[in-house]
Amino acid sequence: MSDVRPEDDGDAAGADGTAVESTTETESDVPPHRAASRSGRLDSERRQGTPYTESQVIMPTVKIVAPFAFTYGLFVTFHGAGSPGGGFQGGAIMAAVVFMIAFAFGIEATRDWVANTVIVGLAVGGALAFAGIGLIPVARGGAFLQYDLLPIPVKYGLESVEVFGIAAIVSGVLMGLFFLLANGFNSGGDGFSDGTAAEEDVDDDGADELDTPDADRTAAADGGER
Amino acid sequence: MTGAAFAPSVAAQTTAVSPATPVVAQITAVEASLLAFVVLTALATALARDVLAAIIVFGAYSLGMAALYAFYRAPDVALTEAAISAGVTTVLLLLTLAKTTRIDHDVAFESVNVPAAGAAGILLAGLLLTMGDVPAVGSPDAPVWSNPDVTQWYLGESYAQTGVENTVMAVLAAFRGFDTFGEAVVVFAAGVAALIVLHREVFA
Repeated sequence: MSDVRPEDDGDAAGADGTAVESTTETESDVPPHRAASRSGRLDSERRQGTPYTESQVIMPTVKIVAPFAFTYGLFVTFHGAGSPGGGFQGGAIMAAVVFMIAFAFGIEATRDWVANTVIVGLAVGGALAFAGIGLIPVARGGAFLQYDLLPIPVKYGLESVEVFGIAAIVSGVLMGLFFLLANGFNSGGDGFSDGTAAEEDVDDDGADELDTPDADRTAAADGGER
Repeated sequence: MTGAAFAPSVAAQTTAVSPATPVVAQITAVEASLLAFVVLTALATALARDVLAAIIVFGAYSLGMAALYAFYRAPDVALTEAAISAGVTTVLLLLTLAKTTRIDHDVAFESVNVPAAGAAGILLAGLLLTMGDVPAVGSPDAPVWSNPDVTQWYLGESYAQTGVENTVMAVLAAFRGFDTFGEAVVVFAAGVAALIVLHREVFA
């Protein structure tokens, strides 16, 4: 992180609004599924406008691999009792399949395909299922997660915690983190942050550019995420 | 692969600890190459000047660690390392990097900070001094394996009490189930915290 930033990049990355506007202008003639031709290195200011590029290698590969990887995730989740793995590992593998699909077919398309209700339902439902399975024995006069008080064999009590609790929480939260990070910081008015906070941020970045180059660098790096 | 290969070995170890097994002192070629790979990728991760290169090499490091865990008969840890560290963490870091600016570099590696390297070297030397007292890898006399109150108790009792062959899962979900509940809630809270920090109300 000790790199010295090029000075002319500070303006473009500092205020998010200008960066987005410039990219939409420069790449309006490019089809939305094609990346603009760019010279050499990847650069985020240009990449903001083209988040997705079709690849003839990645798409068929993911088409072939994804069903097997998802089945393996289900296997690891459901066979945690008899073989290595369990809900945590299986849930992570199943979430990674969604990551793979998102990289192959576009994050925004996958975001529409995996609805927010699915992600929230997995995370919240998993937490509630784990707590519920733990509390049933308490209601019957036992201790938390005392499996022999469940109406099912002890082995299936453990499995239901792994499958309905841990796997659901992990896969839901990991998918949620993925889509959240793909979105980035919400500086617009559509979240619960109001517009005034976003304007203050832009003003901060503008003010910092007058400061020392080091402060300018941190401010620009900070603002680039927005 | 790991699933089929390791489940019988766990079951076999549960029944009988064979003290006759000789302590293997020499390092096999697979182990040595894996260790060298892990050390080299760790150094490259620390010294790479380009952040994208560092993230990719870090993913390779995690994959090497996963192979090493599988080699040391810890398939549960290997699965977690491969799925979380090599897969999910790399993807999340790449996504974050895509939101920032990538800078062209003339040199591939960072110059070594001499005081920091000296401090790390002193720490490494201090840790290496204690290696003489560490039991050999796979030694049946290692306290973490041979003590009858914890490890051997779990290995002997987990199947009888839970009906689950995988002792790791029996410990995680049954014997220490309340801990696991706390960990699952921590994962859930991480998702909620990310929503709050990024000023979002919906995940997707």
